[in-house]
Amino acid sequence: MRYGTYLVPAAIVLTLGSLACKPPKTAEEIKAETQAAFNEGYQAFKDGKARETNPYVTAKDAKEIPHKIQGWYDGWDKAKADKDAADKAAAEKAAAEEAARKAAAEKAAAEEAARRAAEAEKAAAYKRAADAALKTIHFDFDKSEIKEADRALLQGIADFMKAYPAAKVEIEGHCDERGTNEYNLALGNRRAAAALAYLKTLGVDEARFTTISYGKEKPLCTEAKEACWSQNRRGEFKLK
Amino acid sequence: MTRFLVRTFLFALAALALQAQQTEVVLSASSSAKLVLGMAPPKASGLDEAQVAAEFTAVLKRDLDETGVFAVLQEGLPAATAPAKAWKEAGAQWLLNVRLAKGPAGDLQLDASALDTAAEKAVFTKPYKADRMVPLRRMAHALADDLVARLTGERGVASTRVVFVRQMAPGVKELFQIDRDGANLVQLTRHGSLTLSPSVAADGRLAYITYKGGAPEIWGQRRRDGAHEKLYPATGSGIMLSTPVWSPDGRRLAFVQGDRRGNSDIMVLDLQSGRARRLTDGNGINTEPSWNPNGTQIAFTSDREGGPQVFLMQDDGSNLRRLTGEGTYNASPAWSPNGAMIAYVSRFEGKFDLFIYKLGEGKAYQITTGVSTSESPAWSPDERRLVFTSNRFGSMQIFTTDLSGRQVVRMTELPGCQSPKWTRAR
Repeated sequence: MRYGTYLVPAAIVLTLGSLACKPPKTAEEIKAETQAAFNEGYQAFKDGKARETNPYVTAKDAKEIPHKIQGWYDGWDKAKADKDAADKAAAEKAAAEEAARKAAAEKAAAEEAARRAAEAEKAAAYKRAADAALKTIHFDFDKSEIKEADRALLQGIADFMKAYPAAKVEIEGHCDERGTNEYNLALGNRRAAAALAYLKTLGVDEARFTTISYGKEKPLCTEAKEACWSQNRRGEFKLK
Repeated sequence: MTRFLVRTFLFALAALALQAQQTEVVLSASSSAKLVLGMAPPKASGLDEAQVAAEFTAVLKRDLDETGVFAVLQEGLPAATAPAKAWKEAGAQWLLNVRLAKGPAGDLQLDASALDTAAEKAVFTKPYKADRMVPLRRMAHALADDLVARLTGERGVASTRVVFVRQMAPGVKELFQIDRDGANLVQLTRHGSLTLSPSVAADGRLAYITYKGGAPEIWGQRRRDGAHEKLYPATGSGIMLSTPVWSPDGRRLAFVQGDRRGNSDIMVLDLQSGRARRLTDGNGINTEPSWNPNGTQIAFTSDREGGPQVFLMQDDGSNLRRLTGEGTYNASPAWSPNGAMIAYVSRFEGKFDLFIYKLGEGKAYQITTGVSTSESPAWSPDERRLVFTSNRFGSMQIFTTDLSGRQVVRMTELPGCQSPKWTRAR
């Protein structure tokens, strides 16, 4: 029984040991395992996950010091790669934003140009309408009555003022040289006032007009003859 | 009127004083007789003879000729050293001796004396001193004025000046002044715009209209030799303004303000308070105010009865009455310095002539005639002449005439002149 006392545990140990210890791998097995590992790595490589699923490196090490793992450094720098990727993404984003901004600016510029063109066209139309409407009227010697022939011109001015409600006009009264300087200043004022009164009867607000007299101080023509004097006895209309 | 009486009284005194010597000819302002003056060649030391001849002798001769009371002896002159008797025989009633000397510092000394050749007695002696800045021609003017004062009791006008408007470019006019003999042209304003209607106060201050801000404004000087500043309106503008005229005391400005109904009215601005008062009633055109010498009445042009005519009123607008009767266009009244006459223009056949209305007689006298126009009369300070504008040589130039209209003298050779005003004060 003495030997039996040791035999039972020995048998248990041997049984367990034979269960625990596998027999050494055969060459075939090793080859197959290697092939499998290769295939797995190749597949991972193809999936773009090669570095992450390296079976020899813990996930933590792979993240923090992949290039320091013995036998596995190929110059790849994750921090740099991450930075590069971030920079690239940022650059792409900035480029996209820049392009968007440019497009927006171009659009705005185009709109502005269109608006300007429209405005210029409007101003030109206003100017043309003003030039067409604001014609000089004439007076008889020492008179300030509106002549029959000038009524159509004044109607044209009234129409212009109604078509362009923002328009403001200065009425200038002028005289020929055959009067004293000072009396002609008063006469020019009366001529401007006569034109103003007539325009008022045509329904234009008189607050949109200013009047000014230049007497005989700004003649159009300086010869001493009636053809010249009749040109100088005038009322001019100027946009303000 | 008081001033006129005082003047007459002084004149009578002067006449008595002269008569007491029983040796002289006394001329009244209305007399056409002239005193014949012989001018001995000036004795100059330290001065270039040609300069003295051009800037003193010639200037003095012209001044005296234009006084209307002296005739400078031109022909048959005795030798330079001849005695007074020889001058008397040559026709001179007075003999003028002049000594000019230039000091080491450039200062000038002028000793003038006049001798009555009949009595061989001095009738005038006066020394003049001037620093280097005073030109010889001003000394000649001063001597001419003193000689006239000695003869008539009132200073001559050789030292006076005329302020006027001149066109610089179309639509740009500026104020200028010129000596009475046409020398020494000076530009007074540089507004670069229409600048019109100058008036000169008794102390030389200017007032005028300028369009520099677009609409007309009254500008001028509040103090003698002061800066030019806006006088009216205080704020805003846009109304028609013209013709500011200083009152004789220089405290008020008569001017013309237009409204938007075509009327223009005579206003009076009190410079001290800045308040303006309307004198006429918003009835037609009222313009061209002219004060009487004591500032109680205003002559002006109005078309209230049809065409332009000259009216008078008190300085508060009361007592309105029409002055001119004949003619369809009478304007530009100018009250004479002693108040007895009003010069004005009257249009006939498309051009103007100068007239003088004598208030004492109630009659008008024509001064100028001719095919050219004569406008804008203004009185000389001694009331012997009128300055006016005329186109008799083509463009508008400034002329003077005596009250007979026979002695017309051209003052400028500048085209485009208007609105002359004659003053002692500048």
